Amino acid sequence: MSVAPAFARTGAALREAGRNALLAWGPGAWLALAAFALAALVPFVLPASVRLDGLAQTGYLALAAVGLGFAVGVGGMPSVAQGAFVGVGAVGAGHLIGWGVPPLLAALVGALAAGCGGVLVGAAVVRFRPVFVVAATWLATWLFAFTLEALPSLTGGARGLTVAPEKIAGLEPSATLHYELALGLVAVSLLAYRALARSSFGVRLRAAGQRPAAAVALGVDRPRLRLAAFAGAAAVAGLAGGLAVQLDGVVDPEAYDAFLSFTLLVAVLIGGAATALGPAVGVLAVGALSLVADALARLTGAESARFGPMLAALLVLSVLATGSDGIVPAVSRRIRRAGRQEHEPGVELRRPDEATLTADGLQKRFGELVAVRDVGLELRSSRVAALIGPNGSGKTTVLRLLAGTLPPDDGGVALDGRPLTHTADERVELGLVRTLQSNAVFGELTALENALVGASLRRRYGGALRALLATPKARAEAREARARAQAALAAVGLQKRADVVAQELTGSEQRLLMIASALATEPRILLLDEPSAGASSAELQRLAEILGGLRAEGLAVLAVEHNLRLVRKIADEVVVLHAGTMLASGTPEEVAGDPAVRAAYLGRQSL
Amino acid sequence: MQFLLQVVVSGLAAGFVYGLVAIGHSLVFRLTGTVYLALGDVIGLGIFTTLLVAAGTGPVTQTSVATGRFLGALTVGVLVCVVAGAGGYLFAVQPFLQRGSTLGWVGGTLALAFAIHAAIESFFPRSGYVFRDPIPFRRIGEAGFVAVGDASFQVRTIYVGAVALALAALSAWAINRTRSGRGLRAIASDREGALVVGVPVERLVALAFGLAGGVGALAAITAAPSAPVSADTGTLLGVKGLAAALLVRFGPAWLALAAGAAYGLLEAAIANVSLGDLELGPEYSAAIPLGLVLLLLAVRPPREAFEEVE
Repeated sequence: MSVAPAFARTGAALREAGRNALLAWGPGAWLALAAFALAALVPFVLPASVRLDGLAQTGYLALAAVGLGFAVGVGGMPSVAQGAFVGVGAVGAGHLIGWGVPPLLAALVGALAAGCGGVLVGAAVVRFRPVFVVAATWLATWLFAFTLEALPSLTGGARGLTVAPEKIAGLEPSATLHYELALGLVAVSLLAYRALARSSFGVRLRAAGQRPAAAVALGVDRPRLRLAAFAGAAAVAGLAGGLAVQLDGVVDPEAYDAFLSFTLLVAVLIGGAATALGPAVGVLAVGALSLVADALARLTGAESARFGPMLAALLVLSVLATGSDGIVPAVSRRIRRAGRQEHEPGVELRRPDEATLTADGLQKRFGELVAVRDVGLELRSSRVAALIGPNGSGKTTVLRLLAGTLPPDDGGVALDGRPLTHTADERVELGLVRTLQSNAVFGELTALENALVGASLRRRYGGALRALLATPKARAEAREARARAQAALAAVGLQKRADVVAQELTGSEQRLLMIASALATEPRILLLDEPSAGASSAELQRLAEILGGLRAEGLAVLAVEHNLRLVRKIADEVVVLHAGTMLASGTPEEVAGDPAVRAAYLGRQSL
Repeated sequence: MQFLLQVVVSGLAAGFVYGLVAIGHSLVFRLTGTVYLALGDVIGLGIFTTLLVAAGTGPVTQTSVATGRFLGALTVGVLVCVVAGAGGYLFAVQPFLQRGSTLGWVGGTLALAFAIHAAIESFFPRSGYVFRDPIPFRRIGEAGFVAVGDASFQVRTIYVGAVALALAALSAWAINRTRSGRGLRAIASDREGALVVGVPVERLVALAFGLAGGVGALAAITAAPSAPVSADTGTLLGVKGLAAALLVRFGPAWLALAAGAAYGLLEAAIANVSLGDLELGPEYSAAIPLGLVLLLLAVRPPREAFEEVE
């Protein structure tokens, strides 16, 4: 049937991927390749006095740390339970090998078990604030330790559960084999970290960690993304545990206690959470520390186990005290020149479909206070409406009611005639988007990545797995999303600032960037909360042009505004709120001429 | 029935100590929005400093330390604890709070915790140390046990419970009635506002961190002669106190105390009570209560646990 064309398409996609890989191949990639090649040669040039199994263990520890680094650095979840997930993998794999399951399969099942554990813990904590993530994962770590104590059969009692070394894929399970395996897995995990962090999955995940409310307003399904990251990190830890236990030859319950979780977190902190290489470098630093601890112990005749924690503690405190975000970010800032990313050729944003948003008899009470009483209005495509009123008159509350993020006590909002009862991401997908009052940009992302958070909304093939495998569909879609983000930046005049980190933009540029991120979702109705706050008169002019452009494109726009000059310039319709009720509505001229408005609100100020 | 009384008494004695640690956790959370992961080990430091001053690192028998020396040791231990607790805030928490770095204070407090734990272990490497009882409870009844009907329980458990209750009452009084306590409550409700009206915020918060350690240590030292102590004693107190504090959402002192008491009762019940065929035993007494707290946190999380997304 259509097998041949499918092969042809796959072939073309592969050739293109190859070309892209060659194009992207730079000095950094050569350096990384050389470093790993050298590292792979270590077992064959090492003096016999150096213990290779220690190096292999360090490699597995690095694997678990890279997983944690992703959850912490990209996912924004400060987990202190990674050691427990290593333990789940080790205990699971240890038992399976005892039952005759092949070693690699046993390790994979261990990883799966740890991943399931990650889903269980993650389901609870992904919606939590960081401090509660810390508290819950810390207690989970101890629960795991207590459980191993309570059920000695899990770990073979006092003598520990012996794991007989089995051939791995037909090869002798020597320390060399484990070392090479660990090294290979670390390399794969680093590549995966990089690919994921740059994908739209990673960009949205970082956005969700930095500014939860702003990310949700752009349609990011925050809990789902964070759960995937948390469980994925746990599964990687489980894999590391499932393999490391085969090298150890025994399941030792004390090896997976809170101290392991602490060690992994220290590695991530020292190396740098926000980079792929950071956690692995951090593990090496911790490993070097334990060598120093051994040397100290020999000098003093004490047990080295006592010095390790103290040295690690001192190191982490001193690294933290310098305010550094880790070794790798500090080094890479010195050597990296500001790289420019390639940008896709211009694509235009899709012209929005017709839309109407109608509100009728809206009422909202906060306790005794009636914040909004009997407000009704209609937004239509190609029109700009302005909502004005003194401070505390209920403007932002009306905006939230219209956006569907606050349920009304009475009355209702309808989008295209259908009542608005959807989840945040569904509403954004239907084309109803709202920007927040403050400068809620994602400060650590570039302007382009900010827009990409919105542009990734309608991606069908943008999940973590597809991003990892770089399937042709995912790649094509990623290119398209990037182009759309670029177009959204161009729509607000920020295309030249695409590679600037958002927190380095000016205040008014940040507000424009918020509009760009919202536009990148290709909305039909845009609700803006004080877009002109703090703008100079030149910036006001620019904003008026941008809003005029959006109207010409066919968007329905509602802006909550204080600046009456801007309102007069851009608004087709003005709604005046006073103490939660509608005082007047109509064209700017009609409203300006309304004696009630003049008396109650405008006073001597003329519209 | 008599047996139940025994379980209740020993459960409450342990539970009130957890409760005091929970009060410390709640106070710290309300003041700074952080979890003081080093609290348990700071308390452990207090216990072992007292032991070190009283008897050195050698084995301690019930009669080898004079009461005067013990009281001196207790003072030193609690003082060290207060200093370590406050120092923990100044070096491991406050710098990172200023920078808004969660990872910073997590790493800092954990580093402090494990450094203290390792230091204790290097001086006291054996798995259990007997703590001298400053009050000769062993002369009451039969080697310190009295019988009420068929039940017999250690007299000192009642003493431990009473001391812990008194300390909790003192803490509640200090928070509600003293000038510093008012300052602390002002910080908890509005840190910026407190700064503006001239509350010495940093000094008071450091003091609260110190007292959280000191009060916890006082209770733990009171309880210490009941069972052998090790470097893990303090760590576990910190973990269980945190679980109890989480149970009442880092609530007010009396609630935190009640949560600690409930936690202790549950532990004692699991260790001792059999319901028909269901007999759990002491090996489950650590895992099950903690598992229940985590389950509750997952199923019915407190509203303040959630990130605000609207």
